Amino acid sequence: MWQQIKEALVLSTAKFLTKLASLLPGLAALIVALFLSLIVGWILAAIVRRILIGLRFDERMSQWGFASFAESAPMKSPTRLVSRSIVFIVVLAGFLIGVAAFDSAWTSLFVRSVLAYIPNIIGATLVLFVGRLIARFVARSVLIGAVNLNLQYARLLSEGVRWLVVVLAVAMALEHLRIAPEIVELAFGILFGGIVFCMALAVGLGSKDLVTKSLERDVKKSAGQELEDPLRHL
Amino acid sequence: METDAIPQPAEEEAQQIDSADLVVGILTELGSDAISRMCGSLQALPGPARIAILQHDTRNGPAATSPDAPSIFFVPSLLTNPDGPGAGPLGMAETYKSVFAAGEKLQSRGCCIVASKHESSGAHWASELARPLLEQNVDLVVPRYAQHRFDGLLNSGIIAPLIRSLYGRRLHNPMGPDFGVSRRLFQKLLGTERSGKSGANGFHPLASLAPAALCDNLSVAEVHFGARVYPSPDWTNASSILAEALGPVFVDMERNASCWQRTRVSSSVPAIGQASRVLNDSGAVDINRLVESFQLGNRALQEIWALVLPPYTLLELKKLSRRSVEQFRMPDVLWVRIVYDFALAHRLRTINRDHLLKSMTPLYLGWVASYARDVQADESMTPDQRFERLALAFEAEKPYLVSRWRWPDRFNP
Repeated sequence: MWQQIKEALVLSTAKFLTKLASLLPGLAALIVALFLSLIVGWILAAIVRRILIGLRFDERMSQWGFASFAESAPMKSPTRLVSRSIVFIVVLAGFLIGVAAFDSAWTSLFVRSVLAYIPNIIGATLVLFVGRLIARFVARSVLIGAVNLNLQYARLLSEGVRWLVVVLAVAMALEHLRIAPEIVELAFGILFGGIVFCMALAVGLGSKDLVTKSLERDVKKSAGQELEDPLRHL
Repeated sequence: METDAIPQPAEEEAQQIDSADLVVGILTELGSDAISRMCGSLQALPGPARIAILQHDTRNGPAATSPDAPSIFFVPSLLTNPDGPGAGPLGMAETYKSVFAAGEKLQSRGCCIVASKHESSGAHWASELARPLLEQNVDLVVPRYAQHRFDGLLNSGIIAPLIRSLYGRRLHNPMGPDFGVSRRLFQKLLGTERSGKSGANGFHPLASLAPAALCDNLSVAEVHFGARVYPSPDWTNASSILAEALGPVFVDMERNASCWQRTRVSSSVPAIGQASRVLNDSGAVDINRLVESFQLGNRALQEIWALVLPPYTLLELKKLSRRSVEQFRMPDVLWVRIVYDFALAHRLRTINRDHLLKSMTPLYLGWVASYARDVQADESMTPDQRFERLALAFEAEKPYLVSRWRWPDRFNP
């Protein structure tokens, strides 16, 4: 009995070791692929960075009106953003090649499904990135406009608008990634509606005085009571 | 605007009137009486001058040649319509350019533009702008209006002292909007635009005329006029006016950087005519509202100002916002540095330019509050004295601008 258990254990250990040994070349290949892709990515990024610096890419981006793009980039430099993205893409490609080197059915399947999913990831990333840019731009426009209109709740309004755009962008990105689309739809509806409702309440209650003042001013103006403001700007 | 762009009927009309010594563009509404008087005063100009008058609303004036003044011709079709309905002088860049293009087409010695309304008759303004052009060969004639205490504060608080410190000539209304321009100057401006040297946005005549003349050492003179009628302020679009006025000035500043960095001190320009006094200057400003706008801006716009202003300025603004309305006073040096920092941020495109200029509004209103407190507290102080003090601060702080312009990163937090 004991002998049989021993034999079974030895057999399973041998099987495990054989399997492990068969994985080792693939693992080594994965490490080599990662290492090589890191080097290639770094070289490519350095070349691209040098070219973009030569082309004064950062300056041109600002001149073309993408100031908010520069703000969201690491160290406020779009050149760095581009070069780091290149490193990331090359390392990701190296990783997938390394995984494929395991040469077994499930790794190829895994790589194939990951590759098929990449366009969704890129799409979602783009949606998030553009959403962030738009959110910042719109929030700033609203903030400055509201401050110049003397609205005390300018910041609240601007934050509300920022979150509206961000929620919209996140919902679109999740939709793109096909992650629980029904829940996302429902959650988006609730969140979006909630934010709009909160803002409507806050702005409505906050502008009570403003509307009163505005109406009073109109009444005074029509009755010719209001003193004319002597300020002339230009 | 290129002369090629003038429509066909205008071409024919211009063919009939092949040349003129002077082109007068009337970009404001003038009654038929005022037009007749203007023609009379233009007739009195020296020499047998042929004068072409460009005006949109021909109902108020003769349709073709004036019977009373045979050397005066009305050529309305050479004038481009304003950019938008109710556009003030700032929105009339293309109209100004069309006057210059007409001047070039008719080979005139100069152009005069009357774009503002005036408290008195103002019919003589065109001839007063034209006289130095024709008699003294002056290249740019700018107006010097008699000014109420709270008139034209954007000009007096930013534009005029900025132009003075940059280009070294003391012009009181460098952005007109009434101008007399010599052939040499308008040809230079049109030529620069055609060659594409003026950049993607082209030039804005109101902002570019004075800098172009001063950088080329052309002769400039001021003419004393009476008081202008300013449009009533609209609190909902004060920021738009600020952005519209300062944008072209800052663009021009960037274009002429090599010129203004050489200038050190300022000098006055010859003034023609007698300064007239302003009567009934008793209006009072609601300082509370201005200070509240500034304080709200200081609370809400910190994240934007922090991208533009150095920490010291932000700290000073914070201290200022804690003061009561009675104690509120923005030091000239602080205001000057703010203007210079915004000009630099505009050049560097630190944030979207429209956002940048509009976010300056609460700061500007803070300065207006401070100015109003000064002139209301001290009745003996005239606006001219107050603006002179401010202009001197602009000049004294110019080294700060030059160093930030040359080494913008040095001051970054």
